[in-house]
Amino acid sequence: MFRDKRVRSSVFFGPLFLMVLISFLVGSVVSNLGKPENQKLHVVRSDNPLVERLRNNRFNVIEIPSVVEGERLIRKGEARVVLQFEEAPSGSGQQTTTAYFDPKHQLSEVALGMVSRVFQEENRKSLKTVLDQKGIPETAIEPIKLSRKEVVVGEKGGAGAFIVGMLPYLIVIWAFFGGMSIVSDLVAGEKEKNTLETLLITPVKRTQIVFGKFVALSVICLLSSLSSVVGIIAVGALSLPGAGELFKGGTGITPTSFLIILAVLLPTVAFFASILLAISTYAKNPREAQSHLGLVNFLVLTPAVASQFIGLTDAANAMWVNFVPVLNTSNNIRTALLGKPDLLAVFVTIVVSTVPALIALWVAVWLFNREQVLTRV
Amino acid sequence: MVRTIDVAKHFTDAKRGVVKAVDGVTMEAMPGSIVGLLGVNGAGKTTLLRILSTVIKPTHGRAEIAGHDVATHPELVRANIGFMSNSTALYGRLTAREMLEYFGGLYGLRKVELKKNLDEVIDRLQIGPFADGLCDKLSTGQKQRVSIARTILHNPPVLFFDEPTAGLDVVTSQTVMEFIEGARDAGKTVVYCTHIMSEVERLCDQVYVINEGRIMGVGSVQDLKHQTSEQSLEKAFLRLVRYQSEGLEAVKA
Repeated sequence: MFRDKRVRSSVFFGPLFLMVLISFLVGSVVSNLGKPENQKLHVVRSDNPLVERLRNNRFNVIEIPSVVEGERLIRKGEARVVLQFEEAPSGSGQQTTTAYFDPKHQLSEVALGMVSRVFQEENRKSLKTVLDQKGIPETAIEPIKLSRKEVVVGEKGGAGAFIVGMLPYLIVIWAFFGGMSIVSDLVAGEKEKNTLETLLITPVKRTQIVFGKFVALSVICLLSSLSSVVGIIAVGALSLPGAGELFKGGTGITPTSFLIILAVLLPTVAFFASILLAISTYAKNPREAQSHLGLVNFLVLTPAVASQFIGLTDAANAMWVNFVPVLNTSNNIRTALLGKPDLLAVFVTIVVSTVPALIALWVAVWLFNREQVLTRV
Repeated sequence: MVRTIDVAKHFTDAKRGVVKAVDGVTMEAMPGSIVGLLGVNGAGKTTLLRILSTVIKPTHGRAEIAGHDVATHPELVRANIGFMSNSTALYGRLTAREMLEYFGGLYGLRKVELKKNLDEVIDRLQIGPFADGLCDKLSTGQKQRVSIARTILHNPPVLFFDEPTAGLDVVTSQTVMEFIEGARDAGKTVVYCTHIMSEVERLCDQVYVINEGRIMGVGSVQDLKHQTSEQSLEKAFLRLVRYQSEGLEAVKA
């Protein structure tokens, strides 16, 4: 099985490489975005000391002659934020700085946010000085204080946002794509190469043959899926460049969460393997199988993609989610990674996922036992 | 022994309606003989072999292999047959040895028996030098030898050959035919499908001429020539086939 390059790449290299690549790319972007030196700040030429403060805060300050020039650069996409400092403070002593930016440009918003934090810090220092001079305690300007206390839900060491957002989706997707990459050869390919008949004339029963293929395909689906988990663990453990930002909260993969992932994944893997096998059995040849697989892709991808956003809604905790195949698996993996699994939801998911898996397997076996289907070439 | 009684296979086709691929074939093949199924492409030879090898079920009639009914005891039938076609149908990513071991397992051979049989067929068919090479890398002749080895690995009493020499060079064809003759001499029941007259003349003890799913003539090569008053098997065959066509035309008219 593993002599086939496609099997090796879909089971091991694909998921592992992709996880490392995604972690590295996302990590690099996230960590670079947070660095002031990577924020280009265009400043209309001024002697205002704030310009120097910004430089001291490691912003990449670029002086320009006028606001008109700044607006031109923003329109061209060459400037994110252009700052114009007023020449003198107003009568109240307030120094106004105008920031020009493109609200549709995400990097403009990021840069503006970082500049705002510098200004807030400057304002806080000024305020403290004034309050100290007048002998007023700092707490006087904050009569109502909001104190934040985090409540630990579930196990300690729940995964960070990146892992929770990405991993459930990838685990499910790889379970499908791992099998999809080879399934067209499994029966349709055997029909085309005439090897299927050599199997059919052995004393082995057809149902045994189809079960053998189902088990082999399930193993491929499961290994592909688990490879993406191993990829995440490897990236987290190796502290690859750029990945540090992503793993602040840990990977969330503990013995308990791994067992839950496995428990909800197994029926889903069986479901995917059965569907894929039924399609490959029905198709005349690998090309026909591939065209059918393209359509089935959407059925699997839609709930899987929904799993990426479900954490942003109240639906994540709703029981009905556990009755939607694929989505229920992703959601339970998500809660397991967060360290707060719901065992009832896990149980419902296993039962609900097993039903379509059995139906799809029955269809695959039924098709495999029909001579009209097997002799379609 | 192979025996069919009034076997038929009818398909329903959306365009052509009911297609009678095999239509009431009665035939018999005894151990130690080679029975030829002679017919043009599409005559129904392969469909008949598929029925006999239990790949498809007959829609009518009865077929027995080594005393087992193809419809009711297909597993027992399959344990008693070997099937070989011109398509070697090997698994390219397995070595010749691995493939034979795999099929030995499927045929239910136990480890000791499998090793014994494997060594025997590898030696007999001179597969040794390339036994550990991937099937994808073998030459056509080598693949054909591995295919033969797979056919006889479990030592079945009945062997089916479906145009086994099609597309092969003279040397490889010779190897295949020598093997088939050897199988007959070893007491096997051989059913040989072909449309090549010279092979029939050389190999077959009994010939069934088949056309449009029906048996048009039965007998030894000499019998067929005698029945049709023709000097060559080719002309005898054509006469038998044309009789049917003319008969059909008459019915249609």
